[in-house]
Amino acid sequence: MTMTMNLSLAAGENDTIFHPSVRVGVDVSGFARQIIEPEVFPIGVSVDFEWRENLFAVAEAGMLRVEVEKETHQYTADGFFGRAGADFNLLQYITGPVNDAVLVSLRYGYSRTRQEAPFIMIPDEYWGDHQTAIEGDIYQAHWIEAGIGLKTEILRNFYIGWSLRGKILLNATSEPEMDPYYVGGFGGSGSNTAMTLHYSLYYRFPFR
Amino acid sequence: MHNPAQTSFRHLRMLFPLLMLATLFLSACQDDEVCEEVTANPLRIAFYLSGQEDETRAPVDSLTVYATGRPDDRIYDRESGVSLIEVPLNPNDNTSEFVLSFEHTNDTITLDYRHDVHLISVECGFTMFYDITDVRYSANQLVSLSITNNRVTNTFDEHIQVFIPDPGNDNDNESEPGSRRK
Repeated sequence: MTMTMNLSLAAGENDTIFHPSVRVGVDVSGFARQIIEPEVFPIGVSVDFEWRENLFAVAEAGMLRVEVEKETHQYTADGFFGRAGADFNLLQYITGPVNDAVLVSLRYGYSRTRQEAPFIMIPDEYWGDHQTAIEGDIYQAHWIEAGIGLKTEILRNFYIGWSLRGKILLNATSEPEMDPYYVGGFGGSGSNTAMTLHYSLYYRFPFR
Repeated sequence: MHNPAQTSFRHLRMLFPLLMLATLFLSACQDDEVCEEVTANPLRIAFYLSGQEDETRAPVDSLTVYATGRPDDRIYDRESGVSLIEVPLNPNDNTSEFVLSFEHTNDTITLDYRHDVHLISVECGFTMFYDITDVRYSANQLVSLSITNNRVTNTFDEHIQVFIPDPGNDNDNESEPGSRRK
Protein backbone atom coordinates (compact mmCIF):
# COMPACT_ATOMS: atom_id res chain seq x y z
CA MET A 1 0.00 0.00 0.00
CA THR A 2 1.53 3.27 -1.03
CA MET A 3 0.21 6.18 0.97
CA THR A 4 1.44 9.61 0.04
CA MET A 5 0.61 12.41 2.45
CA ASN A 6 0.52 15.84 0.91
CA LEU A 7 0.20 18.64 3.42
CA SER A 8 0.26 21.74 1.32
CA LEU A 9 0.41 25.12 2.97
CA ALA A 10 -0.09 27.07 -0.23
CA ALA A 11 -2.34 30.06 0.40
CA GLY A 12 -3.82 30.54 -3.07
CA GLU A 13 -3.22 30.75 -6.77
CA ASN A 14 -1.41 34.03 -6.60
CA ASP A 15 0.78 33.05 -3.64
CA THR A 16 4.25 32.49 -5.02
CA ILE A 17 5.81 31.69 -1.65
CA PHE A 18 6.77 28.02 -1.51
CA HIS A 19 5.36 25.96 1.38
CA PRO A 20 6.56 22.41 2.01
CA SER A 21 3.87 19.78 1.72
CA VAL A 22 3.25 16.13 2.59
CA ARG A 23 0.92 13.68 0.86
CA VAL A 24 -0.26 10.15 1.67
CA GLY A 25 -1.45 7.66 -0.93
CA VAL A 26 -2.58 4.06 -1.44
CA ASP A 27 -1.44 1.95 -4.38
CA VAL A 28 -4.67 0.34 -5.56
CA SER A 29 -3.08 -1.62 -8.42
CA GLY A 30 -2.65 -4.49 -5.98
CA PHE A 31 -6.40 -4.74 -5.59
CA ALA A 32 -6.79 -4.90 -9.36
CA ARG A 33 -4.15 -7.62 -9.51
CA GLN A 34 -6.18 -9.63 -7.03
CA ILE A 35 -8.94 -9.85 -9.61
CA ILE A 36 -6.55 -11.46 -12.09
CA GLU A 37 -4.59 -13.51 -9.57
CA PRO A 38 -6.58 -13.99 -6.37
CA GLU A 39 -3.67 -15.90 -4.86
CA VAL A 40 -1.36 -12.89 -5.03
CA PHE A 41 -2.03 -9.86 -2.89
CA PRO A 42 0.44 -6.96 -2.88
CA ILE A 43 -0.39 -3.81 -0.95
CA GLY A 44 1.59 -0.62 -0.58
CA VAL A 45 1.62 2.82 1.01
CA SER A 46 3.81 5.83 0.42
CA VAL A 47 4.60 9.24 1.87
CA ASP A 48 6.07 12.04 -0.16
CA PHE A 49 7.37 15.30 1.19
CA GLU A 50 7.80 18.36 -1.04
CA TRP A 51 10.85 19.73 0.66
CA ARG A 52 11.73 22.01 -2.21
CA GLU A 53 9.40 23.43 -4.79
CA ASN A 54 8.51 20.68 -7.26
CA LEU A 55 10.99 18.28 -5.70
CA PHE A 56 9.62 15.49 -3.57
CA ALA A 57 11.33 13.07 -1.23
CA VAL A 58 9.37 9.82 -1.32
CA ALA A 59 9.26 6.73 0.85
CA GLU A 60 7.14 3.70 -0.07
CA ALA A 61 6.55 0.43 1.72
CA GLY A 62 4.34 -2.54 1.31
CA MET A 63 3.65 -6.19 1.87
CA LEU A 64 3.11 -9.20 -0.35
CA ARG A 65 1.15 -12.32 0.37
CA VAL A 66 0.95 -15.33 -1.95
CA GLU A 67 -1.08 -18.35 -1.00
CA VAL A 68 -1.61 -21.24 -3.40
CA GLU A 69 -3.23 -24.57 -2.67
CA LYS A 70 -3.88 -26.99 -5.51
CA GLU A 71 -4.00 -30.76 -5.94
CA THR A 72 -0.38 -30.88 -7.09
CA HIS A 73 1.22 -28.16 -5.02
CA GLN A 74 1.07 -25.80 -2.10
CA TYR A 75 3.04 -22.58 -2.04
CA THR A 76 3.09 -19.62 0.31
CA ALA A 77 5.12 -16.45 0.38
CA ASP A 78 5.14 -13.50 2.75
CA GLY A 79 7.29 -10.48 2.34
CA PHE A 80 7.73 -6.80 2.63
CA PHE A 81 9.37 -4.22 0.44
CA GLY A 82 10.53 -0.63 0.71
CA ARG A 83 11.44 2.02 -1.83
CA ALA A 84 12.98 5.43 -1.30
CA GLY A 85 13.84 8.15 -3.72
CA ALA A 86 12.71 11.38 -5.27
CA ASP A 87 10.14 12.75 -7.67
CA PHE A 88 10.61 15.79 -9.85
CA ASN A 89 7.67 17.73 -11.24
CA LEU A 90 8.04 18.53 -14.93
CA LEU A 91 4.78 20.44 -15.08
CA GLN A 92 6.37 23.55 -13.60
CA TYR A 93 7.96 24.19 -16.98
CA ILE A 94 4.63 24.03 -18.79
CA THR A 95 1.90 25.56 -16.73
CA GLY A 96 3.41 27.13 -13.63
CA PRO A 97 2.45 26.43 -10.03
CA VAL A 98 -0.57 24.10 -9.91
CA ASN A 99 -1.63 21.21 -7.75
CA ASP A 100 -1.19 18.78 -10.63
CA ALA A 101 2.13 17.17 -11.39
CA VAL A 102 3.87 15.21 -14.09
CA LEU A 103 6.54 13.39 -12.22
CA VAL A 104 9.81 11.79 -13.11
CA SER A 105 10.70 9.39 -10.34
CA LEU A 106 13.81 7.61 -9.17
CA ARG A 107 13.84 4.93 -6.49
CA TYR A 108 16.06 2.48 -4.70
CA GLY A 109 14.16 -0.64 -3.69
CA TYR A 110 14.61 -3.59 -1.36
CA SER A 111 12.44 -6.57 -0.58
CA ARG A 112 12.59 -9.56 1.68
CA THR A 113 10.36 -12.57 1.11
CA ARG A 114 9.95 -15.82 2.98
CA GLN A 115 8.59 -18.61 0.84
CA GLU A 116 7.90 -22.28 1.28
CA ALA A 117 6.30 -25.15 -0.59
CA PRO A 118 5.19 -27.77 1.92
CA PHE A 119 3.78 -30.03 -0.80
CA ILE A 120 5.05 -30.48 -4.35
CA MET A 121 4.03 -33.24 -6.72
CA ILE A 122 5.59 -33.28 -10.18
CA PRO A 123 3.68 -35.67 -12.46
CA ASP A 124 5.74 -38.04 -14.57
CA GLU A 125 4.03 -40.65 -16.71
CA TYR A 126 7.22 -42.63 -17.38
CA TRP A 127 9.12 -42.62 -14.09
CA GLY A 128 6.27 -42.07 -11.66
CA ASP A 129 5.21 -38.92 -9.86
CA HIS A 130 7.84 -37.16 -7.81
CA GLN A 131 6.89 -35.76 -4.43
CA THR A 132 8.99 -33.31 -2.49
CA ALA A 133 8.79 -30.18 -0.34
CA ILE A 134 10.81 -27.02 0.15
CA GLU A 135 11.09 -25.62 3.63
CA GLY A 136 11.16 -21.93 4.49
CA ASP A 137 13.50 -20.02 2.22
CA ILE A 138 14.43 -16.33 2.45
CA TYR A 139 14.82 -14.34 -0.75
CA GLN A 140 16.15 -10.79 -0.80
CA ALA A 141 16.50 -8.36 -3.67
CA HIS A 142 17.85 -4.86 -4.29
CA TRP A 143 17.02 -2.81 -7.34
CA ILE A 144 16.78 0.68 -8.81
CA GLU A 145 13.88 2.03 -10.76
CA ALA A 146 12.93 5.05 -12.82
CA GLY A 147 9.55 6.09 -14.02
CA ILE A 148 7.14 8.70 -15.16
CA GLY A 149 3.63 9.43 -14.04
CA LEU A 150 1.13 12.04 -13.07
CA LYS A 151 -0.92 13.16 -10.08
CA THR A 152 -3.95 15.31 -10.48
CA GLU A 153 -6.45 16.77 -8.02
CA ILE A 154 -9.97 15.55 -8.75
CA LEU A 155 -11.67 16.83 -5.64
CA ARG A 156 -10.48 19.14 -2.94
CA ASN A 157 -7.44 17.45 -1.41
CA PHE A 158 -8.17 14.17 -3.25
CA TYR A 159 -5.70 13.11 -5.92
CA ILE A 160 -5.41 10.25 -8.35
CA GLY A 161 -2.28 9.25 -10.12
CA TRP A 162 -0.57 6.61 -12.17
CA SER A 163 3.04 5.85 -12.92
CA LEU A 164 4.95 3.54 -15.20
CA ARG A 165 8.25 2.29 -13.83
CA GLY A 166 11.16 0.39 -15.26
CA LYS A 167 13.28 -1.58 -12.82
CA ILE A 168 16.73 -3.14 -12.88
CA LEU A 169 17.76 -5.77 -10.37
CA LEU A 170 21.08 -4.97 -8.70
CA ASN A 171 21.49 -7.90 -6.37
CA ALA A 172 19.45 -10.88 -5.24
CA THR A 173 19.85 -14.03 -3.18
CA SER A 174 22.12 -16.35 -5.10
CA GLU A 175 21.07 -19.97 -5.64
CA PRO A 176 17.81 -19.90 -3.66
CA GLU A 177 16.01 -23.17 -2.98
CA MET A 178 13.50 -21.98 -5.56
CA ASP A 179 12.94 -18.78 -7.48
CA PRO A 180 10.14 -16.76 -5.89
CA TYR A 181 6.92 -16.51 -7.79
CA TYR A 182 6.71 -12.76 -7.25
CA VAL A 183 9.17 -10.30 -5.73
CA GLY A 184 7.20 -7.73 -3.76
CA GLY A 185 7.79 -4.19 -5.01
CA PHE A 186 9.75 -5.41 -8.03
CA GLY A 187 7.63 -7.82 -10.06
CA GLY A 188 7.94 -11.35 -11.33
CA SER A 189 11.19 -13.20 -10.82
CA GLY A 190 13.20 -14.86 -13.56
CA SER A 191 14.44 -11.65 -15.11
CA ASN A 192 16.77 -8.87 -14.07
CA THR A 193 14.38 -6.24 -15.36
CA ALA A 194 10.73 -5.47 -14.83
CA MET A 195 8.13 -2.95 -15.92
CA THR A 196 5.19 -2.20 -13.67
CA LEU A 197 2.18 0.06 -13.76
CA HIS A 198 0.88 1.65 -10.59
CA TYR A 199 -2.28 3.60 -9.95
CA SER A 200 -2.90 5.30 -6.66
CA LEU A 201 -5.26 7.40 -4.62
CA TYR A 202 -3.94 10.24 -2.51
CA TYR A 203 -5.16 12.56 0.16
CA ARG A 204 -3.61 15.85 1.19
CA PHE A 205 -4.00 17.09 4.70
CA PRO A 206 -4.05 20.88 4.53
CA PHE A 207 -2.65 22.90 7.37
CA ARG A 208 -5.14 25.65 6.79
CA MET B 1 -7.82 29.85 -15.25
CA HIS B 2 -6.52 26.82 -17.19
CA ASN B 3 -4.33 27.20 -20.22
CA PRO B 4 -4.49 24.69 -23.08
CA ALA B 5 -1.63 22.68 -21.61
CA GLN B 6 -3.47 22.33 -18.33
CA THR B 7 -6.63 21.33 -20.17
CA SER B 8 -4.77 18.64 -22.09
CA PHE B 9 -3.10 17.51 -18.94
CA ARG B 10 -6.37 17.15 -17.09
CA HIS B 11 -7.59 14.89 -19.88
CA LEU B 12 -4.79 12.53 -18.93
CA ARG B 13 -6.55 11.86 -15.65
CA MET B 14 -9.08 9.91 -17.70
CA LEU B 15 -6.38 7.29 -18.09
CA PHE B 16 -6.90 6.31 -14.48
CA PRO B 17 -10.41 4.85 -14.80
CA LEU B 18 -9.53 3.53 -18.26
CA LEU B 19 -6.60 1.61 -16.81
CA MET B 20 -8.86 0.13 -14.16
CA LEU B 21 -11.41 -0.89 -16.80
CA ALA B 22 -8.69 -2.37 -19.00
CA THR B 23 -7.45 -4.46 -16.10
CA LEU B 24 -10.92 -5.79 -15.39
CA PHE B 25 -11.50 -6.53 -19.08
CA LEU B 26 -8.25 -8.45 -19.42
CA SER B 27 -9.01 -10.46 -16.32
CA ALA B 28 -12.40 -11.41 -17.72
CA CYS B 29 -10.78 -12.68 -20.92
CA GLN B 30 -8.20 -14.76 -19.13
CA ASP B 31 -9.07 -18.25 -17.95
CA ASP B 32 -6.86 -18.44 -14.91
CA GLU B 33 -7.77 -22.01 -14.04
CA VAL B 34 -6.03 -23.56 -17.06
CA CYS B 35 -2.33 -24.32 -17.15
CA GLU B 36 -0.99 -23.17 -20.51
CA GLU B 37 2.70 -23.59 -19.84
CA VAL B 38 5.01 -26.45 -20.73
CA THR B 39 5.40 -28.65 -17.66
CA ALA B 40 7.45 -31.58 -18.96
CA ASN B 41 11.15 -30.99 -19.61
CA PRO B 42 12.59 -33.84 -21.67
CA LEU B 43 16.22 -34.20 -22.68
CA ARG B 44 16.58 -33.62 -26.41
CA ILE B 45 19.08 -35.73 -28.32
CA ALA B 46 19.72 -34.96 -31.98
CA PHE B 47 21.47 -37.20 -34.52
CA TYR B 48 24.13 -35.99 -36.93
CA LEU B 49 26.42 -37.67 -39.43
CA SER B 50 30.01 -37.96 -38.24
CA GLY B 51 32.57 -35.99 -40.22
CA GLN B 52 30.01 -33.69 -41.81
CA GLU B 53 30.66 -29.98 -41.44
CA ASP B 54 27.09 -29.28 -42.41
CA GLU B 55 25.00 -29.24 -39.21
CA THR B 56 21.97 -30.89 -40.72
CA ARG B 57 20.37 -33.53 -38.56
CA ALA B 58 20.48 -37.07 -39.85
CA PRO B 59 17.32 -39.22 -39.76
CA VAL B 60 17.64 -42.66 -38.20
CA ASP B 61 15.53 -45.59 -39.28
CA SER B 62 14.01 -48.22 -37.03
CA LEU B 63 14.99 -46.61 -33.72
CA THR B 64 13.73 -47.98 -30.41
CA VAL B 65 14.46 -46.16 -27.15
CA TYR B 66 13.73 -47.25 -23.59
CA ALA B 67 15.22 -46.92 -20.12
CA THR B 68 17.64 -49.68 -19.17
CA GLY B 69 15.74 -52.53 -17.55
CA ARG B 70 12.41 -51.48 -19.01
CA PRO B 71 12.32 -52.87 -22.55
CA ASP B 72 8.54 -53.03 -22.49
CA ASP B 73 8.14 -49.32 -21.70
CA ARG B 74 9.30 -47.96 -25.00
CA ILE B 75 9.68 -44.24 -25.46
CA TYR B 76 10.22 -44.80 -29.19
CA ASP B 77 9.26 -48.09 -30.88
CA ARG B 78 10.89 -48.78 -34.24
CA GLU B 79 10.39 -45.21 -35.37
CA SER B 80 11.61 -44.26 -38.83
CA GLY B 81 13.05 -40.98 -39.99
CA VAL B 82 13.81 -39.80 -36.46
CA SER B 83 16.50 -37.12 -36.20
CA LEU B 84 15.60 -35.76 -32.74
CA ILE B 85 14.37 -37.71 -29.74
CA GLU B 86 13.01 -36.51 -26.41
CA VAL B 87 13.61 -38.68 -23.37
CA PRO B 88 12.43 -38.06 -19.79
CA LEU B 89 15.09 -37.82 -17.11
CA ASN B 90 14.22 -39.58 -13.87
CA PRO B 91 13.22 -36.94 -11.30
CA ASN B 92 13.50 -39.49 -8.49
CA ASP B 93 17.20 -40.10 -9.08
CA ASN B 94 20.39 -38.33 -10.16
CA THR B 95 21.15 -40.68 -13.06
CA SER B 96 19.28 -42.10 -16.02
CA GLU B 97 20.35 -44.65 -18.60
CA PHE B 98 18.70 -45.23 -21.94
CA VAL B 99 19.07 -47.95 -24.55
CA LEU B 100 19.11 -46.83 -28.17
CA SER B 101 18.31 -49.83 -30.31
CA PHE B 102 19.22 -49.31 -33.95
CA GLU B 103 18.51 -51.58 -36.83
CA HIS B 104 21.46 -53.92 -36.24
CA THR B 105 22.92 -52.99 -32.85
CA ASN B 106 22.30 -51.27 -29.52
CA ASP B 107 24.01 -48.50 -27.60
CA THR B 108 23.45 -47.01 -24.17
CA ILE B 109 23.67 -43.43 -23.01
CA THR B 110 24.07 -42.79 -19.28
CA LEU B 111 23.52 -39.33 -17.84
CA ASP B 112 24.39 -37.95 -14.41
CA TYR B 113 22.72 -34.75 -13.35
CA ARG B 114 21.54 -32.48 -10.58
CA HIS B 115 17.93 -31.36 -10.45
CA ASP B 116 16.00 -28.52 -8.87
CA VAL B 117 12.32 -27.69 -8.65
CA HIS B 118 11.01 -24.59 -10.32
CA LEU B 119 7.65 -22.89 -9.81
CA ILE B 120 6.09 -22.31 -13.22
CA SER B 121 2.91 -20.54 -12.19
CA VAL B 122 0.05 -20.71 -9.75
CA GLU B 123 -2.01 -22.79 -12.18
CA CYS B 124 0.74 -25.11 -13.43
CA GLY B 125 2.61 -25.67 -10.22
CA PHE B 126 6.14 -26.99 -10.18
CA THR B 127 8.41 -28.63 -12.69
CA MET B 128 11.92 -30.06 -12.56
CA PHE B 129 14.98 -28.51 -14.18
CA TYR B 130 18.16 -30.53 -14.67
CA ASP B 131 21.89 -29.76 -14.93
CA ILE B 132 23.77 -32.49 -16.80
CA THR B 133 27.13 -33.16 -15.15
CA ASP B 134 28.37 -36.23 -17.01
CA VAL B 135 27.38 -38.33 -20.03
CA ARG B 136 28.78 -41.77 -20.89
CA TYR B 137 27.97 -43.81 -23.95
CA SER B 138 28.79 -47.06 -25.66
CA ALA B 139 30.07 -46.94 -29.22
CA ASN B 140 28.60 -49.78 -31.19
CA GLN B 141 26.72 -47.50 -33.51
CA LEU B 142 27.54 -44.14 -31.96
CA VAL B 143 30.73 -42.47 -33.15
CA SER B 144 30.83 -39.58 -30.69
CA LEU B 145 28.67 -37.37 -28.56
CA SER B 146 28.75 -33.76 -27.43
CA ILE B 147 26.80 -31.72 -24.90
CA THR B 148 25.47 -28.57 -26.49
CA ASN B 149 23.37 -27.39 -23.56
CA ASN B 150 23.68 -28.98 -20.14
CA ARG B 151 20.68 -27.13 -18.65
CA VAL B 152 17.39 -28.93 -19.29
CA THR B 153 14.47 -26.58 -18.72
CA ASN B 154 11.10 -25.81 -20.28
CA THR B 155 12.62 -24.42 -23.45
CA PHE B 156 12.91 -26.31 -26.72
CA ASP B 157 16.69 -26.34 -26.86
CA GLU B 158 18.71 -29.27 -28.15
CA HIS B 159 20.91 -30.66 -25.36
CA ILE B 160 23.01 -33.48 -26.81
CA GLN B 161 24.37 -34.14 -30.26
CA VAL B 162 25.01 -37.76 -31.16
CA PHE B 163 27.11 -38.56 -34.20
CA ILE B 164 26.44 -41.70 -36.20
CA PRO B 165 28.45 -43.14 -39.07
CA ASP B 166 28.21 -41.47 -42.41
CA PRO B 167 27.34 -44.25 -44.85
CA GLY B 168 29.74 -42.71 -47.33
CA ASN B 169 32.74 -42.62 -44.98
CA ASP B 170 34.54 -45.90 -44.01
CA ASN B 171 36.60 -44.21 -41.24
CA ASP B 172 33.63 -44.15 -38.87
CA ASN B 173 33.38 -47.93 -38.60
CA GLU B 174 35.64 -48.14 -35.51
CA SER B 175 35.00 -46.07 -32.38
CA GLU B 176 35.46 -46.41 -28.64
CA PRO B 177 33.07 -45.82 -25.76
CA GLY B 178 33.34 -42.33 -24.41
CA SER B 179 32.14 -39.83 -21.91
CA ARG B 180 31.53 -36.11 -21.78
CA ARG B 181 31.57 -33.92 -18.73
CA LYS B 182 30.16 -30.46 -18.36
